[in-house]
Amino acid sequence: MGVNQPPSLAASHRGGATVEFQHVTKRYGPESAGPGAVNDLSLLVPAGRICVLVGPSGCGKTTSLKMVNRLIEPTGGRILIDGVDVAAEEPTALRRRIGYVIQQVGLFPHQTIGENVATVPRLLGWSPARQRERTDELLALVGLEPGVHRDRYPNQLSGGERQRVGVARALAADPPVMLMDEPFGAVDPIVRERLQNEFLRLQDGLAKTILFVTHDIDEAIKMGDLVAVMQTGGTLAQFGPPAEILASPSSDFVARFVGADRGLKRLSLTRVRDVPLTPALTARPGDDAAEARRGAAAEASRYLLLVDADTRPIGWLDPAGLPATGALEASMAVPMSPLLEPETTLKDALSMLLDADVQAGIAVDAQGRVLGLLTVDMIAALLTRR
Amino acid sequence: MSGWDWIASHLDDIAAATRDHVVLTVIAVGVGLVISLALALLIHRDRRVYAPVTAVAGLLYTIPSLALFAILVPVTGLSVLTAEIGLVSYTLLILVRNIVAGLDAVPPEAREAAAGMGYSALGRLLRVELPLALPVIVAGLRIATVTTIGLVMVTALIGEGGLGQLMLRGFTLQNYTAVYVGTAISIGLAVVADLLLLGALRLATPWRRALER
Repeated sequence: MGVNQPPSLAASHRGGATVEFQHVTKRYGPESAGPGAVNDLSLLVPAGRICVLVGPSGCGKTTSLKMVNRLIEPTGGRILIDGVDVAAEEPTALRRRIGYVIQQVGLFPHQTIGENVATVPRLLGWSPARQRERTDELLALVGLEPGVHRDRYPNQLSGGERQRVGVARALAADPPVMLMDEPFGAVDPIVRERLQNEFLRLQDGLAKTILFVTHDIDEAIKMGDLVAVMQTGGTLAQFGPPAEILASPSSDFVARFVGADRGLKRLSLTRVRDVPLTPALTARPGDDAAEARRGAAAEASRYLLLVDADTRPIGWLDPAGLPATGALEASMAVPMSPLLEPETTLKDALSMLLDADVQAGIAVDAQGRVLGLLTVDMIAALLTRR
Repeated sequence: MSGWDWIASHLDDIAAATRDHVVLTVIAVGVGLVISLALALLIHRDRRVYAPVTAVAGLLYTIPSLALFAILVPVTGLSVLTAEIGLVSYTLLILVRNIVAGLDAVPPEAREAAAGMGYSALGRLLRVELPLALPVIVAGLRIATVTTIGLVMVTALIGEGGLGQLMLRGFTLQNYTAVYVGTAISIGLAVVADLLLLGALRLATPWRRALER
């Protein structure tokens, strides 16, 4: 199924370049299979795609990533970007045209957010005006208000905000290739899910070629157009689209690594935007309460969703508990179910619904407007249909 | 002649002694900082140098000041050079240790990000590592400066000494006003120097103030 390839991707190669590993090997000392070693790695990442390198710790995935921008030099083999060997270029020049995001973010604590984002443009000698313009554009792109955040220091930001700045900084000089080493590893699961969704939306428009390292198979399945499963000793165990890896693991190792719950994991291949949602019966503050009750009864709907003027959800209303007369008020609503984004995978959605102990989640678009409802029953029906 | 009269009639001498004291201190700490910075960068690049460098600096630090000057006088005479060699020697241990500690304290992820985004080794040092090491470096600088202001006194015995010269003559002539004046000004110098360095650090590190808020 093609859910991991947004329709816009194939047509737009705005920023991408192919990345190819040819028999790349890295040895530390005489032993060939020590931690971090890489053994005869060959793979091709087409332009504009996200390739996730996933595997247990010590499998060489981070080593492989760092050989692309030559923070680590291979013992053998070649890495080509758009057909050109990276070894042919001066390392600092090479790194300035490859985006780099790491787990601990590594923002410079002594520089403002604006200065941090402008790092590579400054190294490339852009004019201050152009740096400033680009910085503001990028902060807005990753969902941070330039006027609020530009002149702050990294320690004044939350973990999620710092991760966003890390992504903005890596994008600053519009590099065709991005290297991301567990970029969302240092934040809590809810923030991580949101950052993943934001990043996928961003990537829809940017179409960068991305090498993404994670140890989390769920993240690999969600983020990857292609997934490279690596195993201890630095060998490539399997390389292909996530659906293929789930459907037919090539070895016992891959099957074990992917986990016994492969059926459940296939829910990660489908996103909220891929399923027909149940329309929500909505009402607005100020509506007549009696009318709302009649409406709910007519639809045999157990609950009403109270939304604001822009159809952003406020909370649930129990029709039985509404006053017989008068207008609806925001204070009558009870707290909401989890908000699901179009990029949320069904696996994450199911886990959020179970955690919140509710039957239905509210799907919202990027502006927070209601798209519809997704229920546990709908997810279960999709599971059994497989 | 009362103490105040002596002060009034010797303002020029006092000013000259104070100026000499400041100049001796600034040269000692300045030269000490340059040498220490070079040694610390060497250590930062190759750890094996750390033990021998601190061993030598530590040895210099343990030689009593009077003994050090006694060793040097036959070689370099009763001169500013002799005084400065001694004074600089005493700054090295503190400064080298603090610069190395400051560079060690730079977050490894900031260092990695800098390398990964294409800073040259020198650019990374100047733009990322040294600025982040600054608080620890200045902490060392403050101790070295205050210590040096005290040690300059001792160089009076080899004909230098700034305010120490004033005090030495005071003792010899039993003019205790001169001794008190020298003491008071040297204490004042130490306090002012310490506050200036602290203020300069605050100005140079706005990100640390942002944290306090």
